[in-house]
Amino acid sequence: MARTDGPDAPAIAVDGLWQVFGDGARPALSGLLKPGAATTDGVARRLKEQGLIPAVQDASFTVKEGELFVIMGLSGSGKSTLIRCMSRLVEPTSGSVLMAGEDILAASKRRMIELRREKLGMVFQHFGLFPHMSVIDNVAFPIKMKGVALKERRARAMEVIELVGLGGREDAYPRELSGGQRQRVGIARSLAVNPDVWFLDEPFSALDPLIRRQLQDEFLNIQATLRKSIVFITHDIGEALKLADRIAIMRDGVIVQIGTPSEIVLNPVDDYVREFSRDIPKGRHMTLEALMEPVNGAPHSGGPELRTAMTLDDALSACALTFEPMAVRDGEGKVVGLLRPEALARAVGEAQST
Amino acid sequence: MSGLSPLKSALDSKGKQAAALVVFVGMACLLAAPYAPWLVAWPSVLTVPMSDWISQGLGAFFEAIKPAMRWVSWVLGFGMAAANWLLVSTPWVVVVGVTTAIGWYLGGWTMASLGFFGLMFVLASGYWVESMNTLALVFVSVPLALLLGTGIGILAYEIRRVKKIVEAVLDLMQTIPTFAYLTPLLLLFGFGPVVGLIASAIYAAPPMARNVLLGLERVESDIKEAAVMSGGTRAQQLFLVELPSAMTQIMVGVNQSLMAALSMVIIAAVIGGFNDIGWEVLLTMRKAQFGQSFLAGLVIVVFAIVIDRMSGALAKERRRHNTRVVWWIIVASLVAAVVLDDLLPAADTLGYFGAVADSVDRSVGDFTRTYGSGLDALKNSAMFYVLLPLRIGLDDAVLPFTWGFQWTAAMSAWVYATGVILAAVLAWQGRLTLGLCLLVLIGVIETGVTQLPWIFVLVGVGALGWVSSGWRLSVLCVGLLGLIMVSGLWDRALLSLYLSGAAVFTCAVLGGALGLWAAVSTTAWAVIRPVCDMLQTIPLFVFLIPMLMFFQIGEFSAFLAIIAYAIVPMIRYTRHGLVTTPDDMIEAAVSSGATNWQIMREVRAPYAAPTILLGLNQTILYAFAMLVIAALIGTTGLGQSIYIALGRADVGLGITAGAAMAILALVADRLVQGFAEERRNALGL
Repeated sequence: MARTDGPDAPAIAVDGLWQVFGDGARPALSGLLKPGAATTDGVARRLKEQGLIPAVQDASFTVKEGELFVIMGLSGSGKSTLIRCMSRLVEPTSGSVLMAGEDILAASKRRMIELRREKLGMVFQHFGLFPHMSVIDNVAFPIKMKGVALKERRARAMEVIELVGLGGREDAYPRELSGGQRQRVGIARSLAVNPDVWFLDEPFSALDPLIRRQLQDEFLNIQATLRKSIVFITHDIGEALKLADRIAIMRDGVIVQIGTPSEIVLNPVDDYVREFSRDIPKGRHMTLEALMEPVNGAPHSGGPELRTAMTLDDALSACALTFEPMAVRDGEGKVVGLLRPEALARAVGEAQST
Repeated sequence: MSGLSPLKSALDSKGKQAAALVVFVGMACLLAAPYAPWLVAWPSVLTVPMSDWISQGLGAFFEAIKPAMRWVSWVLGFGMAAANWLLVSTPWVVVVGVTTAIGWYLGGWTMASLGFFGLMFVLASGYWVESMNTLALVFVSVPLALLLGTGIGILAYEIRRVKKIVEAVLDLMQTIPTFAYLTPLLLLFGFGPVVGLIASAIYAAPPMARNVLLGLERVESDIKEAAVMSGGTRAQQLFLVELPSAMTQIMVGVNQSLMAALSMVIIAAVIGGFNDIGWEVLLTMRKAQFGQSFLAGLVIVVFAIVIDRMSGALAKERRRHNTRVVWWIIVASLVAAVVLDDLLPAADTLGYFGAVADSVDRSVGDFTRTYGSGLDALKNSAMFYVLLPLRIGLDDAVLPFTWGFQWTAAMSAWVYATGVILAAVLAWQGRLTLGLCLLVLIGVIETGVTQLPWIFVLVGVGALGWVSSGWRLSVLCVGLLGLIMVSGLWDRALLSLYLSGAAVFTCAVLGGALGLWAAVSTTAWAVIRPVCDMLQTIPLFVFLIPMLMFFQIGEFSAFLAIIAYAIVPMIRYTRHGLVTTPDDMIEAAVSSGATNWQIMREVRAPYAAPTILLGLNQTILYAFAMLVIAALIGTTGLGQSIYIALGRADVGLGITAGAAMAILALVADRLVQGFAEERRNALGL
């Protein structure tokens, strides 16, 4: 298979991916997918009539080199199945998944093992740590599978353990670690072979909110240095908007919209997506780029300096700087204090975001 | 059809229809019995010589594979001799030292002292050599069982299609009585300890297989997937990740396997030919030296406890104990063995408890002489007023000799009339099913279990199967029971059914009450729990000793032995079901103003029903297992047939009687499981 090199060549290209559960799913689906046949909805309906479960329906998307691609959906929407198809933990019923130009669904068992040892890393919702191995043995396990000598794999494992901030705990066992620490081990293990493609299946969903935020921030830092091509699954729209370069939203096995966080918030394609973004503090996730109008004549050049990447909250408080402080009175009309509009803008922005 | 409509509306549930059908068939049988005796007893024309066929068929097959088997026997005999030589010729100081060291490693001070004092007791009892012989059998059979079990477990896990077959076979093996294994093996391998060895390897493999399969299935899917994504091959995934992750469950299997092997090795002593501790029990029991046999039984119990607790520690989260201490203990014992070689007495010269055994013998003798009339009265009243009527019915059991008067047909009529009135009252209160069941029960007691018409039994079991889970089970049960009838063992099967039925009923009532008591009082549970632990650790065989000591050979002793063994699960499951009711349900009941007893009756008991039914199920299986062992002390029925077959090396009889026993257990098991499942579904569990 020809490799399409170049800066914009997709790291992963998923095309027409179907996962149908039930006996005889494969012939049933290939019968329905004949060229010029029914729409995706039509095919799904026919499958359900036959007692089959179409968990992923005709998923197509690309993930660019170094992109953080988030798949978001409620439980049962098929997002976990989708990521398992892409990593071939389950066998997809139909479609193709190209990674660096190679269709991994056509790969032999042997090739698949090779790919997993060299190119793929995965983090699991419930960590999937091996209970009988210490932290360092857990992290070194994928390298051990490659047949690397003990000393060398321990050295590499220590590197990633340091990277996730667990230095000093390498001899502990999973049961002795907190949830946050366990997922750090999971992350370290998935990075041990320095994969090109990094799958994360709801990695932070089982954690407390505070730990979750902390790990999200560290995850972004790690990604800033490593620039992996990432497929990240979550059911939390806030997490998706915070982390993603692009988001795919799934419902009932179908990808209903793919777009940048701003696009998702600003231009939801239907009520389902709108419902998700309703409670989202738009000021914190939307940038000026999505809101600004084309330049028409010479714009007003005074006032605060605004940038395209600024969030609405930041822009609002910057704009508020241009107003004078105002008096605040008590119940009897006596002046008791002074309010700076930028403080008001910032406070409102913070209140929304918590 | 309009005439039937009030009947139809009265019988608006499966239960009512089934009960009505059974009552109807029962009445028909009762009325027709004098004119058609073939309704009651299975006509002998319809039996086929199944056991002869099996004897001939298997005989030819066995002849063919005998040379290969004799070779296996020779190899195993060699291994056994080696293990035996190792254990017996090693100075006892070293054996005690190593056991203590293992105990320390597994569980620190408690386990170390358990091992030490346990073995010292064995040494002092004078049964050291016999015990080591038994241990040698266990040591050779258990690794075989573990390998076999692990292999089967992995196979069932890896290949979906094999799993169903394996599970069915394991279910079946659990219901086939222990003695039934022995007869075919006896033919194949000839008399001698190798039969016991192989029997216990076969008998101990299923628990291992079950736990390996269960453990592998319970490994979290995230862990399995992490192994896949790490790029492991299937073998690497299995051996480096999945099996180690399942280790806790697998260790439970090792524990159960060890206990099963020990139990079987001791039972296999009935074949004889080997100077082990089980043989010692049997021998002394036959000579009525109850003190000695009690002492030997105690040695077995001590062994069982040491092995059980130590291997049980493997399956628990445990602290790591210093291995240096382990080595110190072993070295110290070796040094002691060398240095004190002349000072320490040889193991076979010891025997401090001979006097104790004699005095136990004497005091049991005195006791039975002094209170003999009391014991006899207890035994006789249980026999005359409970067991005998149940067995042959009130109309035959009530004689001037037993009850002081002669049962007459008029009395039967009165009993039935009372039953009908009671049933009518119950039906009027809206509890028609209960009323009909009462009628059936009265009919059974009046007729006696062993004299029940076969049609009535088939219809009754079929109806139960239909109510419990549907017509499939109904057909299965009727078909299986029909097989027993055709084989000509039906009379014996009914005898077995009556004795185990009586024992199970007693267990259910008594065990249920004890379980309830343990659920409401922590003090009670603190007392009952260690007793239950103890009873479950003791090999089946040992239960017979105390019963024999006080009640001699006979059905009543067997009855008591079955109860002592089979009551444990009933107690445990009842308590467990009652105390594990979710807190929020209890809190909801309390805040509704329920008293403790109201909570027990209205909330805990219904919630616990499926669990209690599972306990009953276990009790039934335990009762059947013990029933066969109890054949040693004089029961009639299938157990006796199996035992006779063993003595005559009659493979056909052994297998048919064993299969009949397994069928009874299987039918009871499926029926109760069906009801438990139905309750669980009703509760949405």
